[in-house]
Amino acid sequence: MNCLLCDLPLSQIPSWRGLFLNELPQTICIGCRKGFELIGGDVCRYCSRAGIDMCEECVQWEKTAYAGCITSGKCLFTYNKAMQDYIYQFKFLQDVVLARVFAPELHELLKRRKGTAVVPIPLHPERLKNRTFAQVEALLHEARIPFQTLLEKTEAVQGQKSREQRLTAERLFSWNGQPVPKRIVLVDDLYTTGTTMRHAAKVLKDAGAESVELLSLVRS
Amino acid sequence: MSDLEQFLRGRIWLREHTPFPKEQVDAAIANGDITIKQGISTDKQCMRCLEQSPLKIIPFDCAKCEATCYYCRQCLQMRRISSCTELLVWRNPSSWQPALPSFDWQGKLTDKQKRASEEVAESIALRRPHLVYAVCGAGKTELLFPGIHEALQKGQRVCLAAPRTDVVLELSPRLRAAFPATVTHTLYGGSPEQEGLAQLVIATTHQLYRFEEAFDVVIVDEADAFPYTVDPALACAVEKARKPGAPIIYVSATPTKRLLKTIPNRSEIFSRYHGFPLPVPVYRPLWGYKKQLAAGKVPEKLKKWLQEKVNAGEPFLLFLPTIQLIDETVQLFKEVVPGIEAVHAEDPGRKEKVMQLREQKVPGLVCSTILERGITIANVQIAIVGADEALFDHAALIQISGRAGRSADFPDGEVVFFHNGISLEMDRARQLIRSYNKGGDRR
Repeated sequence: MNCLLCDLPLSQIPSWRGLFLNELPQTICIGCRKGFELIGGDVCRYCSRAGIDMCEECVQWEKTAYAGCITSGKCLFTYNKAMQDYIYQFKFLQDVVLARVFAPELHELLKRRKGTAVVPIPLHPERLKNRTFAQVEALLHEARIPFQTLLEKTEAVQGQKSREQRLTAERLFSWNGQPVPKRIVLVDDLYTTGTTMRHAAKVLKDAGAESVELLSLVRS
Repeated sequence: MSDLEQFLRGRIWLREHTPFPKEQVDAAIANGDITIKQGISTDKQCMRCLEQSPLKIIPFDCAKCEATCYYCRQCLQMRRISSCTELLVWRNPSSWQPALPSFDWQGKLTDKQKRASEEVAESIALRRPHLVYAVCGAGKTELLFPGIHEALQKGQRVCLAAPRTDVVLELSPRLRAAFPATVTHTLYGGSPEQEGLAQLVIATTHQLYRFEEAFDVVIVDEADAFPYTVDPALACAVEKARKPGAPIIYVSATPTKRLLKTIPNRSEIFSRYHGFPLPVPVYRPLWGYKKQLAAGKVPEKLKKWLQEKVNAGEPFLLFLPTIQLIDETVQLFKEVVPGIEAVHAEDPGRKEKVMQLREQKVPGLVCSTILERGITIANVQIAIVGADEALFDHAALIQISGRAGRSADFPDGEVVFFHNGISLEMDRARQLIRSYNKGGDRR
């Protein structure tokens, strides 16, 4: 097997641990793995931006109607050059198989959560047809994490909007009417302004969720 | 001829990304001018790059067609092909009388070039494959001109392909200058859109994925270069891009054994256009150079060589085996030679830095094998550090040595192999260079 990113041969060392614990295999080489930067140190408790306790952006959010709709949050990686290239190839070039790259990390974080439902941020149906796959669902699927779809995207475009337009957007999601569990982890691929996550969290909260935790692969 | 035909003729193109109004494309499909091919065939082969390895053709649940689709990772960078994407092919070529080429080249071929040139033209006319095996600096490009001219005169479409973008960018202005009346396109990753139906196409071998039965003549320059040699899909692309039975002309200074074996029609030139012999590399041991560099010290012998070149005012190229080593040591070399620059494959300023060396604005460059081909700098001096590393096979060593002594004003540059033990490949390279100077490849 070759590295999914640089196509050089991968040296997989089979281990008893891997065999018995059914760990997900690495699909990229050590060199490519090094390119991605895990977020660490003191970070915002909602969005993992560097800093102490809460970042300026989340402080602002907490002054709006979206206050208190998020219990806690975590973003895994920084949006550095390697991650930008990855996102480009995965989402824009539609290289579906790249969903496997972060499966081990996502699996570790989301496995064995009793009583908590994992809910992916959905794409608008039109957008989904164009992209041919839902990237967050693909990430979860490869991470072997069962998930529940509770949301529907009501507005088609978000990516092309300016920051101002995004922050003042009216309503981005609606609840699909399925029963809402008490505890929810909301999963997305890229956290930029927090608009997507905040809107989705509020819809779930209004529909009856008690706690909504955020998890995003990347913090831009 | 419609602008749609000009664009599509000879090509195989993604329907979604055709730069024409939908109605115009639909009408051409309805009247049979365009046929549609499914992106991935039912036996799971990519119809654009012909890839069929299950490692590259990947199944997924497609939300567009709501079924299992396959997509191709081999040619993904040119926008994805999947089972439910459609490729357009122009089926009814209208008659086409391209402008007669004007041949504007004042240079003169040496006797050897002339003979090779005639042999190439003959092979093109007889539609048979041909190999031009000529040393670095023999003047390979120029000797192709008469053959290309003849083909253009007959109204044929000609493609000159090379594995690397650098080489394409170097060849393109020379060909455009030689054939100013001919519509010429230069294609590489990220090249701008170009108008009209090109009779002459200069392209990276990758770009040939987007052609099908287009060319009456295909010339593959640097036919032994990476990635052409390691990626069988690229050879497939060349095959697919030519019309059935169209001749392929391979050009190389260091042909692979396979090429030498499979192409019986061959022209050989083992001397440079200026008639001076090729510089023969000198071996110089540089024991434990890695340790010294890691300890922050440029080995004395290397330091002396660099200072000699700077004092003599001669530009130099210092080849290192890895990008990592370049990054780690460029600061050390800057202390020995102020103003020295580093160049490698991922460096966006590569072209400018080479230009600066040519204009003597920088004293020299520390570089990776990315500069092994296609560059000509008058009076350049060459050193390879770690010439015994596996990366430097005899072809790479010959190509690098071939950078020296190319101009008639300075025909004998120095080539030094600094090594940590002499490798077989080093000996092979030196033996071959010596045998070229004696008039032939005695393998």
